[in-house]
Amino acid sequence: MKISKFLLSIFLLSVLLVSCDDDDEPQLPKGDYENGILVSGEGSGAASGSITYVSDDFATVEHQIYKQVNAGKELGTYLQSLAFDANNSYVCVDQSNSITVVDRYTFEEKEIISEGLILPRYMTILNGVGYATNWGSASDATDDFVAVIDLDTYDVTSTISVGNGPERIVAKNGKLYVSHKGAWSTNNVVTVIDIASKSTTEIIVKDNPDELFFDNSGYLVVLSEGNTIYDGSWNVIGQTQGAISKINTSTNNIDQEIVFPEGSNPTLLVTGGMNMYYNLGSKIYKLGNSDSSLPSTEFINTEAGYLYGMEANDENLFILDASFSGQSTMDIYNLATKAKTISVAAPVSASKIYFN
Amino acid sequence: MMRNILFVFILLIVSKSFAQLDSIQKLKVVNLSSAKLQKHSKGFKVLALSDSIILKNTESFTTLLRFNTPIYIKEYGAGGTSTASFRGTSASNTAVIWNGININSINNGQTGFNALTVNLFDNIDVRSGGGSIEFGSGAIGGTIHLNDQLRFGNHIDNQLVASGGSYDTYNNLYKFSFGSERIAAKFGASYNQSENDYDWLGTDGLKNENGAYNNLSFSLGFGYKLNKFSKLSVFSSKFNGSREFSGTLPNPSAAKEKYKDYNFRNLIAYNYRKNEFAHDVRFAYLTQEYRYFADKNVDFYNYGKSKTFLLKYDFSFQILDNSSIESITELESVFGSTDEIIEKNRKQFSQSIIYNLSFENIASINAKIRKDFNSDYNVPFVFALGAELTPLKNTFIRVNGSKNYRVPTYNDLYWPALGNADLIPESSLQSEFGVGYKTKQVKLDVGVYYINSKDKIVWTPGGDSERPGIWTPINVAEAVNKGIEFTAAVNKAIGKHLFNFNLNYSYTIAKDKSTNNYLTYVPKHLANGSVGYSYKRFSAFYQHLFTGEVYTTTDNLDNYTVPYYNVGNVGVNYNIIKTNNNQLGLGVKVNNVFNKEYQVLPSRPMPNRNFNININFKF
Repeated sequence: MKISKFLLSIFLLSVLLVSCDDDDEPQLPKGDYENGILVSGEGSGAASGSITYVSDDFATVEHQIYKQVNAGKELGTYLQSLAFDANNSYVCVDQSNSITVVDRYTFEEKEIISEGLILPRYMTILNGVGYATNWGSASDATDDFVAVIDLDTYDVTSTISVGNGPERIVAKNGKLYVSHKGAWSTNNVVTVIDIASKSTTEIIVKDNPDELFFDNSGYLVVLSEGNTIYDGSWNVIGQTQGAISKINTSTNNIDQEIVFPEGSNPTLLVTGGMNMYYNLGSKIYKLGNSDSSLPSTEFINTEAGYLYGMEANDENLFILDASFSGQSTMDIYNLATKAKTISVAAPVSASKIYFN
Repeated sequence: MMRNILFVFILLIVSKSFAQLDSIQKLKVVNLSSAKLQKHSKGFKVLALSDSIILKNTESFTTLLRFNTPIYIKEYGAGGTSTASFRGTSASNTAVIWNGININSINNGQTGFNALTVNLFDNIDVRSGGGSIEFGSGAIGGTIHLNDQLRFGNHIDNQLVASGGSYDTYNNLYKFSFGSERIAAKFGASYNQSENDYDWLGTDGLKNENGAYNNLSFSLGFGYKLNKFSKLSVFSSKFNGSREFSGTLPNPSAAKEKYKDYNFRNLIAYNYRKNEFAHDVRFAYLTQEYRYFADKNVDFYNYGKSKTFLLKYDFSFQILDNSSIESITELESVFGSTDEIIEKNRKQFSQSIIYNLSFENIASINAKIRKDFNSDYNVPFVFALGAELTPLKNTFIRVNGSKNYRVPTYNDLYWPALGNADLIPESSLQSEFGVGYKTKQVKLDVGVYYINSKDKIVWTPGGDSERPGIWTPINVAEAVNKGIEFTAAVNKAIGKHLFNFNLNYSYTIAKDKSTNNYLTYVPKHLANGSVGYSYKRFSAFYQHLFTGEVYTTTDNLDNYTVPYYNVGNVGVNYNIIKTNNNQLGLGVKVNNVFNKEYQVLPSRPMPNRNFNININFKF
């Protein structure tokens, strides 16, 4: 099941969430957000979605930067993702049906795109045009689409109809690639959209594909998480297998598929140059780009309470230990020593990390 | 089917009793539920809301409670989901009692305070603190009693109240009451609707989109005195409501949710009282259903429904003039289901014993114990003790202590893939001490309380180590709530000028014991009050509410709070006709008269200044 469904059900139940986190909020002068890390939090019943800035030396941590810069305005819930072009950042907030456009370095708001979007999830940019995946109506699995956004006028100019639950989106050579995690249910395709003709092709992968990126040899890498299967009484009776699939974009064939053993279901996958990192629960595993089988032992055991986000650069691995009722934590591990070097505060329901 | 049986039953009684009309001019109000509550609440604080107070806030149950009681209400935008908490306890620790029957939802353990209208009730009692053990699960923070009143004695009364105002809001109700020596009958109907598209203050022209609501309710009451000692009464009420759930900042146009409620409640009661014995047998049949439309434009919804059968036998014996013992035996069977939970049946047998003792003008005491036997889990043995002492004329001291519980809801237990069938009931121990002063003109009460709750049911990610990353409810938190409550009511007449003043103030400290952090959404300071003035046919009132700042995160982050707010309403009324039998009043009310920008929950602005005009016609 998806976290958004959990959040929805939590809302319906109106139950209180309790957790405990240390409360530290360094207050530092506003500045340029150019050299640093942006951590986005989805928000929850406790708080609107927000973005925390962390300087490259980790010494400066500033929370709710959009709210601070823009006279107390909030981004809304649930903040799914950020997309970037040279000047702007585009903040996709699904329940608000909005993409907020800000200057990526000052975070001053330029526009809130709120027409023509229904549960926007992720966006990518190619040649001055934005392409945002949208789940469509919560009650209709057949109205999902990719919104085409003119980034001069910030208007949704057209839509491209796609299968249920479009999630991540990447662009390459005039084509868009969309993973379909299946919104509130399940799906098992990656859609290839030819931008010029708007024609679509579906590639079947393992269940619930989410993370999607190009590795250093040009393969389109897809993480399928696998799907949980229930019996009639909603007891878990098993899970379908997850996989890391490598798609050759010139043929749209899957050239390599590394399948996870039954019962091991990864939820996060990131690329870090020559290697990839994925998780099983709170343990992180390292996989070389050319490896054909999964490692037998973990790379780092993070002991995170709820490992909800991850990113890597050449030097460090960043993981988000999320709290949905209070402040989350970002732990930074040195890739060479595997040691945790520092922890900094992260937003409520922290889920994504971007290098700015 | 049940409805048909009831109507046939009512017809039979009506036709029989009309033949026996006689003309003894005696007007007697019989409100057994309320009288019993007072008798069983020695040492506890009970606030009574009369029909005149109820009619000042006809727009919703939520606003009625918010402006007149020490209850904190979480409302997801005006008219949206609304839950109530006493003394910093959770929403499922507030029990709503309809004519002596607990009506909290079996699905989520709560009552939605915008999912029922209370305009048709004759009075409402708000009882703070635990100790209402005879009303079962959930009565930890307090209980709210909705009472229908039957009036015997010859009369025929009609009342029509209608109002229209901003945002195309219309609230209308009609009440009819008929009585003879042996018969009391009443009927009421209420219809409310609103576009509820108020401006969001402090924004660039945003409105409360998708906030419209309408609801229709009926109530019926019938009593018949079979003879000098026994009486039969029947109550029935029906509610159909439809609400849209408004959105949040920054884009209210994203909101598409809609919610429908259907409630149908029926009760038949027989009392027999002769010499020192009294018997009261009640049978209730209640149904509830909600439908949740994630997108109002698509005809697909999630639902939850339940039906409850309840048989209650209350036997009391007057041992001596100043002491009595009472036994309450209850058998309940509840069937609940949702679109994702197949129908489950919960059965419960419970036995309570209540002992009352009083020494005139000195003290009165009551002691209660209760044990439940539940088909799903063990329910703890609970008790309550209360005493009221009157050491001096017009003053009193009250003390009480109790143990209470709240059973896990169907959602907690059976929510698909998430529920936890191993949950045990929450329980709490609490005590309270208060002193007061009471004359015809002045009522003052100040009390301190302490509540220790354990095994609180909390939904937590990774609550079950076998299912990492899955949100599941667990019995985990322990909380301590303590505070001070102050209530004042003053009525004063200077010649023909009548003044009244009411104030509720509460100071609440509610903390999670493991972290020592404040619980979220518990204001430290909460105050409301009203002043009223009347002179001959003219009257005016002002209501005010102050709600202190609340934390929204469990780690009490200073930048995630809902700020404090003040909001006030003012109204004036003039009676064009005022005779013994007829009264026609015209009124104007201004809500949020200072046009204050405020939020009850983050990102959900509340209504700006708005108006209504109303008529109140009694004939």
